[in-house]
Amino acid sequence: MKVEGEISVDAPRASVFERLRDAPFFASCVDGVSDLTAIDETHYNASFATKVAFMSFKFKVSVEMTRIVPPDEIEAKVEGTPVGIVGRLTATASTKLTERDGKTVIAYVIDANLTGKLGSIGQPVLKSKAKEMEKQFATRMAAAFANAGAAS
Amino acid sequence: MTPFELLEPASLKDAIALIDPDDPTVRPMAGGTALMLMMKAGVFAPTRLISLGKIGDALTRIETKDGALAIGAMTTLSKVEHSADVAKYAPVIVHTMKRLSNVRVRNVATIGGNLAHGDPHMDLPPVLIALGASVRTAATKGGRELMVEDLLTDYYETALERDELIASLRIPAQGKARAAYLKVTTGSADDWPALGVAVSLDMDGDKIKTARVVASAATPMAIRLKGAENVLTGKAVDDKTLKAAGDAACDEAEMVADVRGSAAYKRELLRIYIGRAVRAAQQADAKP
Amino acid sequence: MSGTVLTGGQVGRSLPRLEARAKVTGAAEYTHTMRVPGMLYAKMARSTVPHGRIKSIDVSAAKAVPGVYGVYTGEDIKTVIPDPYYGPAFHDQPILALGKVHYIGEPVAAVLAADPHVAEHAAAQIVAEYEELPAVFDEVEAAEDKVLVHDELKPATTFADLKHLKGRKDTNCALDFRLRRGDVEKGFAQAAHIFEHTFKTQKVLHLAFEPHASIADYKDDGVTIYSSAQGPSFVRTEIARLLGWPENRVRIKVPFLGSGYGGKLYIKMEALALALSMLSRRPVKVALTMEEVFFTITKHPSTFKIKSGIDKDGRVIARKCEIWWNGGAFADIGPRVTQKSGFTASGPYDIENVSIDSYALYTNLPPAGALRGFGIPQLVWAYESHTDMIARALKRDPLDFRKQNLLREGRPHATGTILKDAAIEKVLDTIAARLDWKKPFERGTGTVKRGRGLAVALKAVISPTTSVAIVNVGGDGSCTLYCGTIDMGQGSDTAMAQMVGEVLNMPAETIRVVPRDTDVVPYDMGTLGSRSLFHMGHAVRLAAEEAKAKIAELRREVGEPDGSNAPLADLFQKKYGMQAGNIVGTGTYKPDYIPPEAGTGQTTNATPFWMTAGAGVEIEVDTETGHVRILRLINVADVGNPINPRIVETQLSGASLMQLGFTMFEKMHIDNGQVTNASFADYKIPGIHDVPAIMENEAVEAYQSNGPFGGKGVGELATFGVSPAIANAIEDAVGVRLMELPLTPEVVFRAIRAHNNMPLGDE
Repeated sequence: MKVEGEISVDAPRASVFERLRDAPFFASCVDGVSDLTAIDETHYNASFATKVAFMSFKFKVSVEMTRIVPPDEIEAKVEGTPVGIVGRLTATASTKLTERDGKTVIAYVIDANLTGKLGSIGQPVLKSKAKEMEKQFATRMAAAFANAGAAS
Repeated sequence: MTPFELLEPASLKDAIALIDPDDPTVRPMAGGTALMLMMKAGVFAPTRLISLGKIGDALTRIETKDGALAIGAMTTLSKVEHSADVAKYAPVIVHTMKRLSNVRVRNVATIGGNLAHGDPHMDLPPVLIALGASVRTAATKGGRELMVEDLLTDYYETALERDELIASLRIPAQGKARAAYLKVTTGSADDWPALGVAVSLDMDGDKIKTARVVASAATPMAIRLKGAENVLTGKAVDDKTLKAAGDAACDEAEMVADVRGSAAYKRELLRIYIGRAVRAAQQADAKP
Repeated sequence: MSGTVLTGGQVGRSLPRLEARAKVTGAAEYTHTMRVPGMLYAKMARSTVPHGRIKSIDVSAAKAVPGVYGVYTGEDIKTVIPDPYYGPAFHDQPILALGKVHYIGEPVAAVLAADPHVAEHAAAQIVAEYEELPAVFDEVEAAEDKVLVHDELKPATTFADLKHLKGRKDTNCALDFRLRRGDVEKGFAQAAHIFEHTFKTQKVLHLAFEPHASIADYKDDGVTIYSSAQGPSFVRTEIARLLGWPENRVRIKVPFLGSGYGGKLYIKMEALALALSMLSRRPVKVALTMEEVFFTITKHPSTFKIKSGIDKDGRVIARKCEIWWNGGAFADIGPRVTQKSGFTASGPYDIENVSIDSYALYTNLPPAGALRGFGIPQLVWAYESHTDMIARALKRDPLDFRKQNLLREGRPHATGTILKDAAIEKVLDTIAARLDWKKPFERGTGTVKRGRGLAVALKAVISPTTSVAIVNVGGDGSCTLYCGTIDMGQGSDTAMAQMVGEVLNMPAETIRVVPRDTDVVPYDMGTLGSRSLFHMGHAVRLAAEEAKAKIAELRREVGEPDGSNAPLADLFQKKYGMQAGNIVGTGTYKPDYIPPEAGTGQTTNATPFWMTAGAGVEIEVDTETGHVRILRLINVADVGNPINPRIVETQLSGASLMQLGFTMFEKMHIDNGQVTNASFADYKIPGIHDVPAIMENEAVEAYQSNGPFGGKGVGELATFGVSPAIANAIEDAVGVRLMELPLTPEVVFRAIRAHNNMPLGDE
């Protein structure tokens, strides 16, 4: 399952890049992420929980920043196992920053795979969730930079 | 499936009392056909299920008054399918049942569960929305009356509170309105629909006085397509109007891709099936 | 037929199935619902990566679940079975994963508990860590050998033609079958027209209503396994091999099967049940859920590149076939599918120059095996679509073009074997006559267009194989048949009883067919490939004839005159002075066969009998939505002399409906190796509303001269022609040609839009 999109934020590219590579900030834009702990500069562990109606899903995930090319490219790999159900979540998220009309455009591609029981049957349900998460991510990201812009 | 506790209260009041609104692993269960699929899939692992199956007669009655139908929430789909009153006052429901899953499921699944589950692929919600149906709920803080179109709020999401149960369904008298439901499958004939379209028409001569147009399955939830309704209102049923209504529907409905088809394809199905459903409604048997 | 005058009147009766009442009343027993005292249930934890080295398997949380008896991994299995690999063609499948996992869904660990729900809950707590390896999913890509599914090939010694693959490394190819006849390149050089097309089929599966189930009860002096197996004799051989025991210490019992279709052939869950029973010293049941079946055995997806050269008179003079079979992670019987279907890949046509290459390939997907046709439906899909495309391009009537090129009685097939007793032309003519092919056809009006199509196919039966049967007449004159053919719904018990009754002049319904139990019932190669009626039929006939001869001898011995109709019980009474004694007749049948020459596939005796069948359809296409409605489906087959015409008809209709699902919508959706629709909720098979409005099934008048009572197999026949007949009809209706199954409404719709230069975007 692939999610693609772009967000335009009103901030210079270099500062957007700095914020994006700050894992706690990035995590705060993704709904359901908690307990983020840094292992080293490029590796993190976290919990991720999401729910669709009365069905809830919890994952333990590890995040690796696989590519950091200032000021325009960040790629991260996420691997996780769900709690209480056999399965596996793997995802790569890559973001590319470009400048357009004085704003910074964050183009992102998230390619996620679910395997095991979760992948065979939970997939359609979680797919719908991904869309919703994407919207929230965009909103939070835009809001964060709006605030940052106001503060500076 | 993981072990869980099964409770079988004897009244709706007892059932509500057993629900823990803060614990999503405690769930009421009607026929259980949909819940069981989720439990087997492992996406739902309840600690406690509260079966409504022993509440009895009050929840399984079908009553009529002046052409309006009141159907208890725990009435099985089979019982609804074979009810003479339903056939008389809402024949579209009987037609819908024939290809709704299979007889084994219909013998167990209930009309209340069908609505409360919030699954956008169900065949009945769009039909009930087109008929202007509402539900009566029971809850700790007292029940309420809720239109079915307001009950469904998103993909698997409903407006019901955690300690709120559907007690009965009410379908208003249809007057001269006629309704049809077209189920479009892309797998076997008894598959979940790739698209469902329900239409209810109230005609004034050869003009449409009011139209209710509902899409489901391809959309995140069963949803009224008011743009299409507006196009139809006041018009005669002709190819040009139907095409315009189909286009309007495509402009307003959000399509979800899945194994049954891409969003682009489902949109083309919707474009065509709006017109087909309107024609089917026009040709449907009016109530006697 | 040994000159015997047959007077029984049993062959040709449309006798209802003997077990029908037990089945519809719920009295029939199935392994999936069986229980044995003291039994534990096993549930598996499965791989979540398509290809990887196992770094660790943490079973501690599973062990801690109350009620869990034990948790076992592949390493534990090695303590009781040191070399725990099994399989019919290759010993490549570990009982539980060892070192590596090869596909998502491969069993990695098993939990035992008295309560299956406890076992399942505990299995979900097992966490395995993998070092992920690159994976390959596509069969054509797999042939490039860039990603290797197995480190080394391990063919079983049972098949002579696999020996050369032993120990081979750096390849995913588990068999490369070659056939060469004439000079195909020379043929192309002489051709006036050349056509080349590539066709693909998708991954689908059997979905027997009873999922796989095995119960093993291991004791030091012997093991009993109850199993939903289509070939108990093979299971016994393979279990004995794993144990290093003689076969007589292994007992396989098979109750009725809730169908099989090839999915329960050879060895499936039996080895795991055995190993877990050895480890726990308790009877152990492994019963799959319907979801797990999707990760156990499937049909081969395929890519078929076919090229034909046609001369100026419209004769096909050269055909080159290249087929890649996607066998998944373990070979199962894939190499047999590759070879046996490779035999007939050039179709039922008389072609001077033929070249066939057929490759069995490993990929990181759930394994593939036999499914009602042993690869033939995939081939017919390609060559009968191709044939139609050529006819259309040459502006020839598809029927006339086929008839011009048809392989006729007495002519050599591509293998070099002379065609005999294969009513190909009669089948084709019957379909055409039923379709009124030469009369004008109503094409439909408005947005709904009508079309029609036909297809015909040829198959060689799997050979050589052996069947043994025993007929036992008791002191009261009642008769019992011991035969290893598994009745999984195809009505074999009834047909076999009819053949015994025919010889012994007894009503078939009075003959008892004993339940399958390898301690009691003699050897049979397996219930597969439409072989049973012919092979076991002969064994049963021979056993009955021997019993009949012994009865005649007994009659003489007790002084009855020739032609006496004294009841059998009286003969026993006279001989033994009481109701006592037995007459036992045995029969063993193995047909003549000459294996194909390596490298050329040539043999003068490729098959004991040919199978031929075809289909004709009339359809309508809703051009606004792409929906295809089958108005009429005609199945015509050569079954020789039908032993039970009514059962033959249900076999034809059942097979064609199964293929209709594979044609129109069935598909395992796979995302990076993960099957994403592994349940009946999201994978649909045809239901009653999908049955075409008109269905016609006909067995043409035919006689298999070397068959038992002129009969031969029928189970797979009506799968052959369905897919191409429908694709041909779609082109006839709307002018678009589809090259890949399934023919879903969206696929048809997109093709129509593309054809009208209004392609539909992706979304």
